[in-house]
Order: sequence, then C-alpha cells, then structure tokens
Amino acid sequence: MPGATAMIAAGLGAGLAGWWLAARRRPARREPGTHRAARRLNEASALLGLSVMADSGLEHFRGEYHNRAMFAAPSVSGIQIGASALGAVSDPARWSTPHHAVQVASAATGVSGLAFHLWNVLRRPGGLSWQNLFYGAPVGAPFALTLAGTVGAAAEHVRGADPHHTRLLGRPAGPALAAGAAFGLGGTVAEAWLLHLRGAFHNPLMWLPVTVPPVTAALLARAAFVGRGRMPVTRRMLEATAALGFAGSAFHAFGVARNMGGWRNWSQNIQSGPPLPAPPSFTGMALAGLAALEMMEARNARD
Amino acid sequence: MSRVRRHADNPAHALPGDDPEHEPRARHGRAPDVMRLGGWTPMREHGEDEPVDFVIVGTGAGGGTLAAKLAEYGFSVVAMDAGPYWRPLEDFASDEMHQSKLYWTDDRIVDGENPLQLGANNSGKSVGGSTVHFAMVSLRFRPEWFKSRTLLGYGTDWPVDWREMWRYYDEVERVLAISGPLTYPWGPKRPRYPYRAHELNAAARVLARGAEAMGIAWTESPIATLSAPRGLAPPCVYRGFCTSGCSTNAKQSVLNTWLVRALAAGAEIRDLAMVGQVETGADGRATGVRYHREGRWRFQRARNVVVAGYAIETPRLLLNSASARHPDGLANSSGLVGRYLTVQANQAVWGTSAEEIRSYKAPPSLAISEHWNYEDHGKDYHGGWCYMAQGPLPTLWSSTLATGHDLWGDALVAEMQNYNHSVGLKNVGEYMPQARNGVTLADETDQYGLPIARVTYSWCDNDRAQNAHARAFMGEALAAADVRDIWEQTNDTCHLNGTCRMGDDPCTSVVDADCRSWDVDNLWVCDGSVFPTVGGVNPSLTIQAIACRTADRIRDMAARGELDRRARPPARERAR
Repeated sequence: MPGATAMIAAGLGAGLAGWWLAARRRPARREPGTHRAARRLNEASALLGLSVMADSGLEHFRGEYHNRAMFAAPSVSGIQIGASALGAVSDPARWSTPHHAVQVASAATGVSGLAFHLWNVLRRPGGLSWQNLFYGAPVGAPFALTLAGTVGAAAEHVRGADPHHTRLLGRPAGPALAAGAAFGLGGTVAEAWLLHLRGAFHNPLMWLPVTVPPVTAALLARAAFVGRGRMPVTRRMLEATAALGFAGSAFHAFGVARNMGGWRNWSQNIQSGPPLPAPPSFTGMALAGLAALEMMEARNARD
Repeated sequence: MSRVRRHADNPAHALPGDDPEHEPRARHGRAPDVMRLGGWTPMREHGEDEPVDFVIVGTGAGGGTLAAKLAEYGFSVVAMDAGPYWRPLEDFASDEMHQSKLYWTDDRIVDGENPLQLGANNSGKSVGGSTVHFAMVSLRFRPEWFKSRTLLGYGTDWPVDWREMWRYYDEVERVLAISGPLTYPWGPKRPRYPYRAHELNAAARVLARGAEAMGIAWTESPIATLSAPRGLAPPCVYRGFCTSGCSTNAKQSVLNTWLVRALAAGAEIRDLAMVGQVETGADGRATGVRYHREGRWRFQRARNVVVAGYAIETPRLLLNSASARHPDGLANSSGLVGRYLTVQANQAVWGTSAEEIRSYKAPPSLAISEHWNYEDHGKDYHGGWCYMAQGPLPTLWSSTLATGHDLWGDALVAEMQNYNHSVGLKNVGEYMPQARNGVTLADETDQYGLPIARVTYSWCDNDRAQNAHARAFMGEALAAADVRDIWEQTNDTCHLNGTCRMGDDPCTSVVDADCRSWDVDNLWVCDGSVFPTVGGVNPSLTIQAIACRTADRIRDMAARGELDRRARPPARERAR
C-alpha cells in the first residue's frame, strides 16, 4: 500500500519538522505565562499526535486498511500534528479558530475510534475476552488521539485566557489540566499494561511503564487537588515519565530485534514486534502534566 | 550426491556442511548449539568402560527430560538416540515431504482389527524425539483419571496422586513457557500459564463459534510455542509447519529446552546411536547397553539403564534383551511388557467454510474444548475426549482426502482446489486399555539385524461408542459454525502408550510409581509406556511430568542409598 506509506511518511516528516521548529524558536522576550503554557501544551499535543499517527499508521497498515475508516486515525492525527506544531511556534491569534476546530475534530475522531475498536472486539467469538482484548483492535489506543486533541484544544483556551485568572471548564486551568493529564496518563498505563500482559512481562523492564507513570499520575492528581507551593517530586517524576516514553521506543527497538530475523527482517518485525511509536505517548502526557504543574506553581507563587 | 538437499528457511540461507542423518554430530567433546547457526556447545564425554550412573535410551519427552534433571542432580548421564541431532535453524525446510525425515519409518508390522498407521502422528526419530514435530498441545490430565478405576469405574488406577502430578505439571509448564489462557475453564484451579495464549487463526475461530452455538465452553489451547521472546528463541511467526519441524526454535521441544540444560549440566548425548540390547549380569541386574553407532556395535557400561523409547521401541528393546536369566524379555515376569498398548482416538469431521480458513496459518490447534473430558453425563461409554481446531498442510490434506474420504483423480484435484476453505475438528480420545493390544517381536529383522516390532491393535465396543459420539457431536458443532458438506474421517489414531504400565503390584505392572522395574532394580522405564490409562488429552506434558517426578525420586533414593538395592523387596518376592 504505497499510498498509505507515503502518507505516513509525509505526516511523520511534517510532525518532525513542526517539532523541530517548535523546539528551536524560543521567544526572544519575556512572554506571558499563559503563552508559555500554551506552547508547552501544543508541544505535548503534537508529540501525542505523532505517536498516534505513526502507531495507527503502522497498525492499520498491518490490518491492510481493510475498512476505509482506518484511514481516519493517521490522516486526522497528521493534520492535528500540523495544527499543534503551528500553535507551538506561530502567532496565536490568527490561527485560533481553525486550530481549535482541528483539535476538537481530533478528539472526536478518537472517541469514534474507541467505538470502532470496541465493536471490533465485541463482534469476535468470545466477545469481551482476554483473547479479543489482546488481539482485537486495541480498545484504548484511539484514546490517545482524544488526548492529543483535548490537550491541543486546552492549549488554545489557555493562550486566550487572562494570565492571572486562567480558567478551564470553569475551574482554575492548572489543576484542571493536571487532573486531565493524570487521567490521560492512567489511560496510557492501562493500554501498556494490557499489551505488556499479552507479552507476559517477559522482560522485567516491561514493568516500568506500569509502575513509574501510575506513581506520577497519582502525584499529579494530588497536586491538582491539594497542591501547595513548589512540587519538585512531582516535577521529577513527570520528567522521568517523559524520559521513559522515549526510552520505551528504544526498548521496543530491542524487542523488534528479538523477533525471528531481527532487524534484518525489519519490514515484518516492526509490524509483529512491539510498537515502536507507542511509548512516546507517555512523554506527551508527561509534558502536558509539566505544563499544568508550571501553571500551578506560578499561581501558588502569586498567592 | 544423489540425495536431494533443500534449503532450510533460516535467514542466512546457510546449509550445514555435514550430514546429520549419516554422521553423528555430538562427538569430540561438543554437541550442536541448536540456538545458533553453526554453533557448538561443549559436551562432557564418558568412556565406554567407565560405568556411568545412568544410560538413557531415547531423548524424547521422557528420556530427554530425565537426562536434564539427573545431570543437574549430579549424576553422570549418557543419553542415546537412534535419530539425528538436528539443527532446526538450518536443517528444516518448508516442505512436508522432506520433513518426513523426522518420523520413525523403520520397518514394523501392523495387524489386528484396526491396524495402526505408524509414522507422522505417533513417532519420531530425532534427538528430542517426537517433540521435534509434535503439535505442542500441552494439557493436564483430569485429576480423576489417576484413579479412574476407583472414581470412574474403568481402566486401572495410577500409583501416583494427582496433586503430586499437578506440581510436576507446574514445573514442566514453566520449563516450556507454555502459552495458554489466563483462566482455564475446566478442572481444579491451576497457576497462570507462563506465556499468554496466541491469537486465534480462522480454524480456531470456527471451533469457538461452534462451541458457543452448542453451549459448551472452549478456550485457547495451551501450547508449547512462544507468544513472546525467550532467551535466544523468538516468538512464533505462525509459519504453520509445526508438525513438520519448527525452523525458528519458537517451538519449545525437548531438543531446544531440556537437552540444552542437559548438556550444560554435563550430560553426554549420543546421536545416531541405536540401542539393540540391555545387557544383564550374573546377578540379573543391568550392566549397560549394546548399541550401534558409526558402523559398529559397541557397549556402554552403566550402573542404571533407563529405557525411554516410547511405547513400541521400549517393549521391543526389553523383549530383544531376553537372556537365560530373563527368558521372556527383561522386566517381564508379569508378562505385561508390550501388552496394553493404548492409543488415542483421532476422529475428525471436515467440511467447507464460506470464509477463508487457510489451514497453513499458525499452529494447527489453537482452540480446544475439553467439555467431554469433564462431563460424564450423556455418554454411553467410559472415558473422555477433547477436540481441537486443525491445520493440515496441503500434502497431509491430500492424503487425508484420499485415504479418509476416498477421493482420487479428478475428484481429488477438484477438492484440493478448495483447500483454503476446508476446515475441521479432530478429537483426542481415551481408548480403553486392552490386554490383546500390544507389541510383540516379529521374525523379520531391521537394518541392524534386530527383530522388528509387530503392533497389534483392535478397538473395543467402548472405543467405537466413543468414536460415534465424538463424530456426531463435532459434526453438529461444525454445522453450527456454518460449515457445509460435512464428512467424517474415521481412520486415524494418535499417540502410543501403555506397554510397560506402572502400578502398585508386580503381578499387574512392569514398573512401580517411580518408573523402576519390579524385576531389575537398576532398570527404569520413563516414557508413555508407563501409562496405565491414557486419558483424553495429548500425553507429552504428562510424560515430562512423570520424568520430572522420576528424577526427583531417584535423587531422593540415591540420598538414602536405595539406588543400589530396592529398599523393600516387591510384594511377590516377600510372599516367596
């Protein structure tokens, strides 16, 4: 399927270019806290989208795009990455409405993906069974696109808000985002747990994504509800979780090597081995959590 | 060179430079490292005049397992096998006919009312035995079967307790990293299988749909092929040649599990070593084995001899070892060596599915129902059976159509066009042990000059009643899964057990619960021959569990100084 491969490659390229731009264009002068938070949230959202696009592109390629709806995830996430990357680097006001629309559409695509995947699982013999949860369409995976869109939409809300009284859904934005990021981390942990259970946790390192991020999520949730002052432990755990996301891809590359033929047989083994692009979704959620933490700490400093 | 040699499937496209079917590989202090292309592993060697603690005849599920455990317990071990020492990564081709090199196809005579088909489905001639090409289905006995006479009213009780056996099943399942369901629907609670079940293929989904329509439980089959990496072995790539030899090492056979351990623990393995006789001394005890290797007959001295050649070769060797002191064959004062050969049902129903099945994809038996192993109501016969999804490769399928469905010529060709839509269910059923079924010696001799086995088999009424029920039920299940043009295959059996049965009484058994022969206290039998009854599940897991138990018992007896002489004379001798 060269078309799909080209599309994935183009999306990957666009995402990486956006990521690179976002990383190098630092504002020369002091920017408002909300803008910094929005940029960080957009970075997180772009990274989540990148993980979704590569992962769904690969997995749906493996599934031969036998249903046209399977094109939705990689294409929508490709556009979503572009919006978030742009939001991270450009003048916000001009793009706010289309950006917002793309993010909301992405979140909605993720929700409909959840429904599609659940339907795929339930229609198999055995229904809601371990066999079908392991090998049917991964029920939790589209959730990452919802998270990417939600974080991206939140970024635009935050950017336009009053820097001193930033609110989201009627709540102070920092704690609301922290609670959301904690929830998103929890969902990502659930997905990793399910698939690592399928792999029987055969390598002890497979326990890392189901032990470190839950602690981070708990600390972040605690910060959302009772956080005071600076929270260095939560920050360190978020940073560790962000690092773990990238390390996960390296571990998965090792996992690919342990399949028959190793990397020499890459075209088969990147499909049948552990998914290389999946773990950075932990990094995306941790970056969103860091942005939320920064907002909370700034507010705590003011109070 | 006249022999056709085919390229194996390994990614390096390398062929080993030697010929394992004619030249031994395990010698000169090294044995093949089956996990690495062209690799070798150091092997301890023993002189033939040096009496080793144990000579083990056969390196399959019984002998290979025992070799590893005994070597790890510090005994000196020489394990011999008549077959070649294969390197799966290099020697195995994706070619059914070529891979028939894994079967024991030496001359044998079959007779009786229902002569057995010997070869692919019930034998192996390889280091690692038939586990090199087994279907990997690894099931536990139903606990009641160990006391089937007392609890279920048929067959014979085993002299071992099911709870003890279940502990050894745990051990074997861990060693083989069995991939199985998270919860098993039948029997007492068991520990979680080490690896997760594989994804069902189309044939397995047909079984699942049929079972659900019939209102009975089904599950993923616990099988001995990896669903995740393990050491140097990759997870299964669903190549589908499992019963023709796994070329990736994902299959956890005795060859790439127990024997790797055995070598590491100091056991010596001698391939292409055909044992012709267990020799005994003036005191009647075994002194070693006479064996043929590298073109001549040799003798290996041993303090103990373990015979583990499976249910035809084991009794054949014991009968061929007759001497003045043991005129009816070794360990045969009961007259039971070679008797009570008990195979298992392998009845099938086949049909055509509208959806593609592609039987060559993935291991053949990924789904199973043990419903009729655990349900005793609704039967007009004794014994249980399970049934599994099937995955015949094209050559096997064409021979099934020819011999089981009487198709030939154009009709056969036409039906073969339908291969990708053919699907079926096949059972493994518990036949009754009968004294008339068994192994005796024929007058003809084989290439070594040894009398060949005559294998006699007949079904009893109970066996026929079970066959009929199984076919009828599986046919209904297949129809319920929307399979059309259903036909029955009635001519197949599988597995061989019971020709040296274990028991509590020397008059009615050949070996005791420790697999030690009643007559010769340094002679042991450790394979499927010792099964008094066969149950309705594939036997390999139970054979390995028995071997683990035997090894532990030998270790304990050695610690108590009971290896050189039986602690208590058998009841019959006490009576004298």
